Amino acid sequence: MQTFNFLAITPEIAVAALTLILLAMGLLIPDGARKGMMPLTVFGLLGILGYTVYDFFFGKMGPAFQGMYFHDAFADFFKMLFLVAALLVVLSSGEYVQKFPAYRGDFYALLVAAILGMMLMAGAADLLTFYVGLELMTITFYILVGYMPHDGRSSEAGIKYLVLGAASSAILLYGISFIYGLTGSTQLYQVAMGLGSKVNPPVILATVFVLAGFGFKISLVPFHMWAPDIYEGAPTPVTAFLAVASKAAAFAALIRVYLVTLENQSFAQTGIALLLILASLTMIIGNLVAIPQKNIKRLLAFSSVAQAGYLMVGVIAESVPGVKGVLFYAMIYVFANMGAFAVATYIGQAQGSDEIRDYAGLARRSPLAAAVMTASVLSLAGIPPLAGFVGKFYLFSAVMDTGYQAIAYIGFVMSMVSVYYYLSIVKVMYLGEGEGLPDIPVRGAAKFAMVFAMLITLFVGIYPSPLAQMAMAAANSLLQ
Amino acid sequence: MSNNFAAVGILLIFAIALPVIMMLMPKILAPNKPHKEKLTTYECGNETIGRTWIGFKSNYFLYALVFTAFDVETVFLYPWALTFRKLGTFAFVEMFIFIVILLVGFWYAWKEGALEWM
Repeated sequence: MQTFNFLAITPEIAVAALTLILLAMGLLIPDGARKGMMPLTVFGLLGILGYTVYDFFFGKMGPAFQGMYFHDAFADFFKMLFLVAALLVVLSSGEYVQKFPAYRGDFYALLVAAILGMMLMAGAADLLTFYVGLELMTITFYILVGYMPHDGRSSEAGIKYLVLGAASSAILLYGISFIYGLTGSTQLYQVAMGLGSKVNPPVILATVFVLAGFGFKISLVPFHMWAPDIYEGAPTPVTAFLAVASKAAAFAALIRVYLVTLENQSFAQTGIALLLILASLTMIIGNLVAIPQKNIKRLLAFSSVAQAGYLMVGVIAESVPGVKGVLFYAMIYVFANMGAFAVATYIGQAQGSDEIRDYAGLARRSPLAAAVMTASVLSLAGIPPLAGFVGKFYLFSAVMDTGYQAIAYIGFVMSMVSVYYYLSIVKVMYLGEGEGLPDIPVRGAAKFAMVFAMLITLFVGIYPSPLAQMAMAAANSLLQ
Repeated sequence: MSNNFAAVGILLIFAIALPVIMMLMPKILAPNKPHKEKLTTYECGNETIGRTWIGFKSNYFLYALVFTAFDVETVFLYPWALTFRKLGTFAFVEMFIFIVILLVGFWYAWKEGALEWM
């Protein structure tokens, strides 16, 4: 009989069990007493996060399940990222979830199920395992995006995401079927051997199709059209999770597929032009279109499109420092973006509006929220001494070492452009009058999430080496 | 390798050209005398009465979803039942976990009213 190393997927099993427990609890607990769901989710996730951190440093690594699954530091790094993002989402959205018009017990169960899908994507060593993880994540998100049944915009966003997501999955599967047809395998290392280093039309077709499928998930231009509408319509905590974790999961799989499968492919040389153009377009369009936005969620949506462009720069570098840059930036992007979204969730829920002009005078009305928002957007813009600066420094220096100067310069210029619209939020908050708008004291778990995100953003910006070393270890585990 | 794709290219060109030629020929050769009856839709069902944008009950889909879940379960149960003795305790535990997951889902569907007809 075959032996299965279940130790390799302990976090996944724990997350799956937590999903079922939360689902069952949601059914068992009476309507009035559902406040306890949030702490339960938080402690469950904390426990799994603790194990994953232990596993990252001391776990026994190696492929599992006959090469269907990788259990390495790279996957563990992303698992930590998903869990941290989920924790921040859950902590910052407690009150928001309480006030859902029709409170059903399944919000947290769905959120945790999405984490399971992401973990599978990060660890997948087989295109089909990866695809199953992707679908688990995406289908959960279809439900979460359209979670408010009587809100027209939420339903519209859900349907849009469903239709576009199905189309992108079809393209991705078509690409995977080409790869299977060419190599007779879906396991990444065997695909890599099967493809060899020759380039022919079907190989290019397959890789471009797979890239289009990934591009949709990470909202790479020209596959970014869905992002603003869906980010605006979805419930804000879901938007936050979608912008951070699902993007990171797609990057995990993208890096794995591109750097493992296509490492000795000459597509790396011919197709690099395509990646360079797409990444530059993503940075340019994401940042320029963000400027005129009036709604905070739409602005953060376009900013997250631009951030995907920066991350793509690290993938293009195709080196250990490049991957390390992506990992590092993805992690600090979680804290910066979650900080901004935690504020957006809280303020949006308190004022019933997501328009930026309603943030006027927030510095006076809610000093903590304004400070967290400022730190977060300045980190996203890459202003020292915040973490975003260090992250961008790693990304752009990696790509310049590989020899692509032009894209790094585009990145610099667009980062400066982004400062404008990020600072315009800060300007409204600190210089706006805000007559007649309510005072919003920040309380409870949301306060903790905001302060925690801000402190990490500051801390990593001043003292980046622990996180950088972890990212380095993870990158090394992938490319050795 | 690339030479084989020449054949695909020729097939592609032929496949595009054929319908274009077929559609152009009647335009050029046939006499063109349109009138009202001729321009109505031909054999595409009856003309609708009233509004066609009506809602369908989504209950059908809920039933279909629950049905699919258990249909797939059966697909897994049959081979498992046939080779049960050979596979031993491990397979028994595996299948037990699988059914428990399904049952939780079924319980959820039941409790949320997916099985009640409006």
